[in-house]
Amino acid sequence: MQPILSVHNLNKYYGNQVGCKNMNLTLYPGEVVGVVGESGSGKTTFINSISGNLIPDSGKILIETGNETIDFLEISESLKRLLIRTELAFVHQNPRDGLRLDVSAGGNISERLMSIGQRNYGNIRQTIFKWLDKVEIDKSRADDFPRTFSGGMLQRLQIAKNLVTSPKIIFMDEPTGGLDVSVQAKILDLLRKLVRELNLSVVIVSHDLAVIRLLADKIIVMKNGEAVESGLCDQVLDDPQHSYTQLLVSSVLQV
Amino acid sequence: MIELNKITKKFTLHNQGKTNILVFNNLNLKINPGEIVALTGPSGVGKSSILKMIYGNYVFQSGQIKINNHNIDHTYPRNIIELRKNIIGYVSQFLRVIPRVPTIEIVMEPLLEINSDQDEVREKAEKILLKLNIDKNLWNLSPLTFSGGEQQRVNVARGLIRNYPCLLLDEPTASLDSVNKDIVLNLINEKKDSGSSIIGIFHDEYSRKYLNAREIDITKISDAK
Repeated sequence: MQPILSVHNLNKYYGNQVGCKNMNLTLYPGEVVGVVGESGSGKTTFINSISGNLIPDSGKILIETGNETIDFLEISESLKRLLIRTELAFVHQNPRDGLRLDVSAGGNISERLMSIGQRNYGNIRQTIFKWLDKVEIDKSRADDFPRTFSGGMLQRLQIAKNLVTSPKIIFMDEPTGGLDVSVQAKILDLLRKLVRELNLSVVIVSHDLAVIRLLADKIIVMKNGEAVESGLCDQVLDDPQHSYTQLLVSSVLQV
Repeated sequence: MIELNKITKKFTLHNQGKTNILVFNNLNLKINPGEIVALTGPSGVGKSSILKMIYGNYVFQSGQIKINNHNIDHTYPRNIIELRKNIIGYVSQFLRVIPRVPTIEIVMEPLLEINSDQDEVREKAEKILLKLNIDKNLWNLSPLTFSGGEQQRVNVARGLIRNYPCLLLDEPTASLDSVNKDIVLNLINEKKDSGSSIIGIFHDEYSRKYLNAREIDITKISDAK
């Protein structure tokens, strides 16, 4: 099996300031890779740099589409935009960053469908209903504006909006941040289900180790812009080798 | 077949004065297909650690672990993920409950990895839950509020729903009454008869004898303790 995404020696600086340095990642189809670390460790810079939101200073990003390998940093801007609208998806921590608030919920979901060329109103409408149902939002809300939705609903809508075109790779930056725990449980359960059902390949950033343990197969632990440890998720959390990972794991409160 | 050759395992606690704890030195162990090995020895001697190393959950500093001739190699996490999907089953001591996920789905999960026929998998899950005396009314509930014994049986159902060539059991009968204990032990015997290599920790003499297990005292196979 070939990795669907591989990142080699990626660097991103803000002036003299390190954003992330010497980062590597291998993501296989159906796999979830978690990126953890404290605030300011470079998690978000890293995920933004590999998803097209930021332009890294150096490194290589290879995406396997099935028939060809795309060198993500070398392709034209228009092809990159197309990929971002179709094969890649990005779920933001704040759903308001990933949704159009002055477009109906259904309109938000249909945007990506239209960008891959779907034009039949009836079909699009059906797909919208199917996805609202998947993320447990009542069909009757399809024509409402997202601004009338609760935080948890907005996040589920953002997930539906991103997954509707079955993207190959999904990036998530703290998808459950800022949600209360019962809503968080609902979203985590939803994500777990979708990962299995649709065989999704995901890179997820979170500072919450419990979230990562639940979702991820592999893990990267970041500190000061660098990966200090990486490997099998449960192994790194249960038998951490680096002093920083040991500190991180032992700092979690037991409920 | 499970083979451990010359395993060294130590824990280095960087934030606690760089304390080094040597758990195993030159540990050797082999479990043949159709055989059950029961690890014995006082608490803290590293019984669970052996299972965790075989499962890839703990790293080891030197030596070799082979599962049906595949190496456990942490530089390739993907390989360990594949081994867990296809070859190694693990029944942990405690069920890791996920909020909102009903019992039946927890049990179905490992089988869905290799069989996408929802109805067929559900049927098998129902069968094993019935066998383990989990009340039908509980199947669609999250095991979060179940008793210790019920949670353990759900965990066993999840671990034994498939026929793994290698099976790791960490006190699978610890909090069960005698009736349910025998049911679980019979299930384990069935796995043995079907050719699985099984290694486990069983706290009571009764279970080890019932399974006709080869007992191995860890203090005698490692130089560390």
